[in-house]
Parts: sequence; C-alpha cells; structure tokens
Amino acid sequence: MTFYQKTNTLPSTSMNRLLIFMALALISGIGLSFGLHSMLVGHDHTFGTTREVPWGILISPYVFFACLSTGLCIVSSLGQVFGISTFRPLVPRTVFLALITMATGLMCITLELENPWRVGFYALLSPHQSSNIWWKTTIYSLYLIFMVLNFMSLTLKKEQRAKVFATIAFVAVTMGNLNMNSDMELLGARGFWSENYMPLYFLSLSTLTGCAAILLFSWIGKTFSGQRPETKDEMALKATGKLFMVLLLGILYFTGVKIMGGFFPQFTKNPEAMFLLVQGDFALNFWIGEVGLAVLLPLTLIFVTGGEKSNILALAGISCLTGVFVLFYDLVIVGQLIPHYQQYNIVDLPKYYSYSPSLHEIMITTGAIFFFLAAFILGEMLFKKIYDS
Amino acid sequence: MKGINLEKLNDEGVESLPSKERRQFLQFGLSISGVFLGGSLLSLTSAHEAQGALNSGKVPVAEFPYSPHYTMVIRQSHCIDCERCLEACRNTNNVPAHGYRTNILERSIPIAQGQRERAFMPILCNHCNHPPCVRVCPTQATYKDKTNGIVQMNPDKCIGCKTCMAACPYNARYFKEEARTIDKCNFCYDTKLKESGGKITACAAACPAGVRIFGDLTDPESEAYKLIHAPGNVLWVLRPETDTLPNVFYLDT
Repeated sequence: MTFYQKTNTLPSTSMNRLLIFMALALISGIGLSFGLHSMLVGHDHTFGTTREVPWGILISPYVFFACLSTGLCIVSSLGQVFGISTFRPLVPRTVFLALITMATGLMCITLELENPWRVGFYALLSPHQSSNIWWKTTIYSLYLIFMVLNFMSLTLKKEQRAKVFATIAFVAVTMGNLNMNSDMELLGARGFWSENYMPLYFLSLSTLTGCAAILLFSWIGKTFSGQRPETKDEMALKATGKLFMVLLLGILYFTGVKIMGGFFPQFTKNPEAMFLLVQGDFALNFWIGEVGLAVLLPLTLIFVTGGEKSNILALAGISCLTGVFVLFYDLVIVGQLIPHYQQYNIVDLPKYYSYSPSLHEIMITTGAIFFFLAAFILGEMLFKKIYDS
Repeated sequence: MKGINLEKLNDEGVESLPSKERRQFLQFGLSISGVFLGGSLLSLTSAHEAQGALNSGKVPVAEFPYSPHYTMVIRQSHCIDCERCLEACRNTNNVPAHGYRTNILERSIPIAQGQRERAFMPILCNHCNHPPCVRVCPTQATYKDKTNGIVQMNPDKCIGCKTCMAACPYNARYFKEEARTIDKCNFCYDTKLKESGGKITACAAACPAGVRIFGDLTDPESEAYKLIHAPGNVLWVLRPETDTLPNVFYLDT
C-alpha cells in the first residue's frame, strides 16, 4: 500500500498559498467560534467587561479595521477618484483590502453586541436619527456595498462605473469616520475622546494605517507570487511611502499633544485619563505602542533607508499597524476607567476602574485578525490577474 | 563651496507649465477640499453638536416640562444606609443579584482640617431632560417618555451595544443577562407607580427616614415640589458639568 508519493513538484506556489489560507481560516474559525459561544451563553459569563467598563477590547478591532478601511479607501481614491496616475497601479488590491477590512470591522462589532440579530429589524424599523451609532453603522454598511460594486466593476473592467462607486464610497467613508469620532466624543460623560483635535487625528490616523497596510500587503503579495515588481508598481509604493512619512510626522505632532496632556493637565480636557495613559498603568502601551511602534520606529526605518526599499517599508508598515492597534485599545479603554463619582469622596471607590480582556475576547479578536489575513490570501489567489492588470 | 546665485537665475514662471498639468493640479486640490468640506457638512452630528448635547444642551431629545413631571428629592443627611430601599427595589422590579437599579454610596466629606463627615448618598437614574443614554441609542430602545419624562426601556429593541451604559454619567444602567436587555430605574413605572396611581415608588415607600421624596414637579401640592421651591433650601444635582439637567435633586438639610 502506498501512503505517500515522493515528488519534486510539490509544494507549488499556489499549493503553498492554499495551505496558508487553510491554516489562517482554521485559526479564524476557532477564534470566531468563541464569539458564537459568547452569544449563546451571554457576555456576562465570557467577557471581561463590567457595569463600569461596558466596552471591551472588541471595540478596538472594530475601530481599527473601520479606520484602516477608511484609509485604504482614501489612498485608493487618490488613483481612482482624483486621477493621480502614480497611485493607479495600487487601486485593485487596495479596494479589495478596504472591502475586507470593513467586513472584518463590522464582524467584530456584531460579535460585540449581545443581541446582534435585532440590529437588522430595529435599525430599519426603529431608526434613531440622533444616534451616531445608527448613522455610522448605516453609512459603513452602505460603504461596504459600494466597495463591493466598485471591485466588481474593476474586475469587469468597467472603469467609469467603478469610479462612480468609488466616489460615493469615498464620501460615505469620510462621513462614517467623522461619525465614529462624534460617537465616541458624545460619551464625554465619561471623559472620552473630546479633545478638539480628534476629528483631524482620526482622519490622519486612518490614512496613515491605509498607507501602512498598502506597503505591507503589496510587499507580501509580490513576495508570495515570486515576481519582481514592475516599475510602475515600485513608483506607486514609493509615492505611498512618501505619503506615509508625511502622515507619520503629522501623527508625531498629535502624539506630542497627548504627551503634553499627560504631563500638564491644563493642555487637556481629560487630565485623569491622559495621566493614566502617559504616566500611569497604560504608560507601557503608550510609550512602546503609540510612540515607539506606531511612529518612531517607522520614521527611523524610513529616514535611515531613504524609503527606497520595499521590504523596509513593509517592516515600517507592520510596526505602525501594531502600534496603532495598541493606540485604539488605549483610546477605547482608558477613558472608561475614570470612576463616575470620583469628585464625591466616595469611600472605597478605586482611583481607576479596571479591565482585562477575557480569553473569549482575545480569541474573538484573534479570529477577526486571522479572518482578515485569510481573506487577503484568498484575494491574492483569486484576483492576482486583476491586481497585476 | 560654490553656492547657487539665485539672482542670476532666470525666473521660469508658471507660464512654462503645461496647461494640462496646471488644470490637473487645480482639479486635485479642489476635489480634495470639496469632498472633505462636504464630509464635514454632511456629517449629521458634527463634533461641535455632539459636544453640545452634554455641555450646552443644544440637542434636546424632547420638550419639557411634562405632565406629570416626575421627580425625586433626596434628603442626603437623613439617610442611615439601612438599604430597605434597595431591597424594595429588587423585590418590586425583579432585579437580579448581579445588578442594581439604585444604590447607596458612602461619602467621607472633608469639613475641616483633619475632620471628615460621613454621609450616605442614594443614587439612581436621574431621568435627565437631556439624557445622553437616549441620544446615543441607535434603535430607540431607550427613550424619554413624552407624557411623564421617565427615561424608559423597550427591552425588545435593545441590541445590547451598551453605549447607553458608557454614556450615562451616573452609572445607572446594567445589562440584565436574564432578559438580554439593559435594565434601569423607571420610577417603578410598570410596578409600584402603577399600583399607587402615580403617587410613590417602591424605594420611597420603603424608606423609614423620609430620604427619598417622590413627586410631581408641576403639582404645587406635591411634597417634592414644596421642598424644591421652599426658600432657603439649597438643592444640588449630581455631576452638573455634564449638563444633563437631572430630575433627581439632592438636599443636605
């Protein structure tokens, strides 16, 4: 009986990719199954959230992926909507990435809800026009539809139609991004994101992550296929690298404003939270994640190498994405940790509330990230020709 | 080192730029600024307005006063922390052990150098006139009752996003896992208040020290109305900086 056959032809590149896709999809499935379990038994039993800290880590991947999708859409629009020819080679892959990142973000927020099945009914039957969440969810859902139509038009080589869908998606996602900020800012009752610079910070961060993702995933795509990048692709990546560097400098400025707020209360509306972030329990996250990984390391890599090498740009991209993920985690959690009645001299009231993500929350987050990676590999397998065209 | 003598260089001017390039540049600039301007105008709740909901009350969710306009006056100094109100609330409104609709916080108030005074501060939903929880709910699962101003819940519509919990400045909401919905004080609207013909809540009825005075802000005969309007009474509300216009008032005397 033959159990195996010795061969020199396996594994082929496509076989490799298929195996990688299957491995990623399996990990994603395991992670997301924790989400289904939570949905069945209730979050009280599986999540680390409490009455005092009702939003946990799952809000972070939602905000992260939604902002990442916004950034990808903005960068793809430079080539597709605004007609800058340098960015055109990036458009198909970027549109696909924007599409799957938004799908991942919406999946995260769905698993974060206790009763997601009610959204379909009551978002339509009982909409609340004053609610930023309603607008944001509606806008992001419409955006996703338009991005799907955009990508379909690109695959069918209907350039003009794709441009129309891309324009609508671009306007929608910009509105969604502003609503995302307002949604959080409204929770000023808890000292959330109410700083004046936040809308610009959000858009800049989104575009920054979009650039970082393009640099990283274009490099992975090319490395996987084993092809040498064409000149026009290299030009596009270099242009993205330059945009990335400018945005990093912008974010460095905002990070400086945060540091000022952490050390000098007069510079912030949110002194307790900023102190906790910059000097308190979250200082490690802030200095290593938000300052080091998100800004300083990518900037150093680009300055040292001149921003010419695609593998260094990809490294800068992954460093930035990791740092920004930490940044969003901090942004969601830190504001909630300020006790409601801190000014009333309450006996036994902690200085800060506490929150730690549970195993279920971590697994769902991991599942979502691997879902995105699996979808990316699937895209590389299915749409390679479209990317190269 | 030989530098460039700028004075000797000819001015190339913009005339030498191809008109196509100039048009493209202008088009690009206008498109970017136009779309972003559109984005900020189209954003239905801009950052400024969102802040207004808390800080200057520019986005009211309903008109007030209501009729009846339910209110509660809490005489903080009368409270002895016997917790009968908490027990009555749990029994009347089927509140599970892991949650609460109302609570009593213990305060240690500095009154002089090295001296502190103990006080007990009952807390509950403030049924604000500008409730942030109502403002953020995407499905109108929580709403301001147009008749009496009570901040109510429609459990069937709750998607469990918990944004109302995050938005409430008073920690007055919890997620009732058994019913898969947010639960909160509704002045016993469907229980004790209904039984008493709109006169009293379970916590107020159970209080032996007359701490919780429930009443109608539009009825001059109501005890709560009299306490609020009595000359010399100094009333305060919780977290006034959030500008939620609470309907629960605190009285120290």
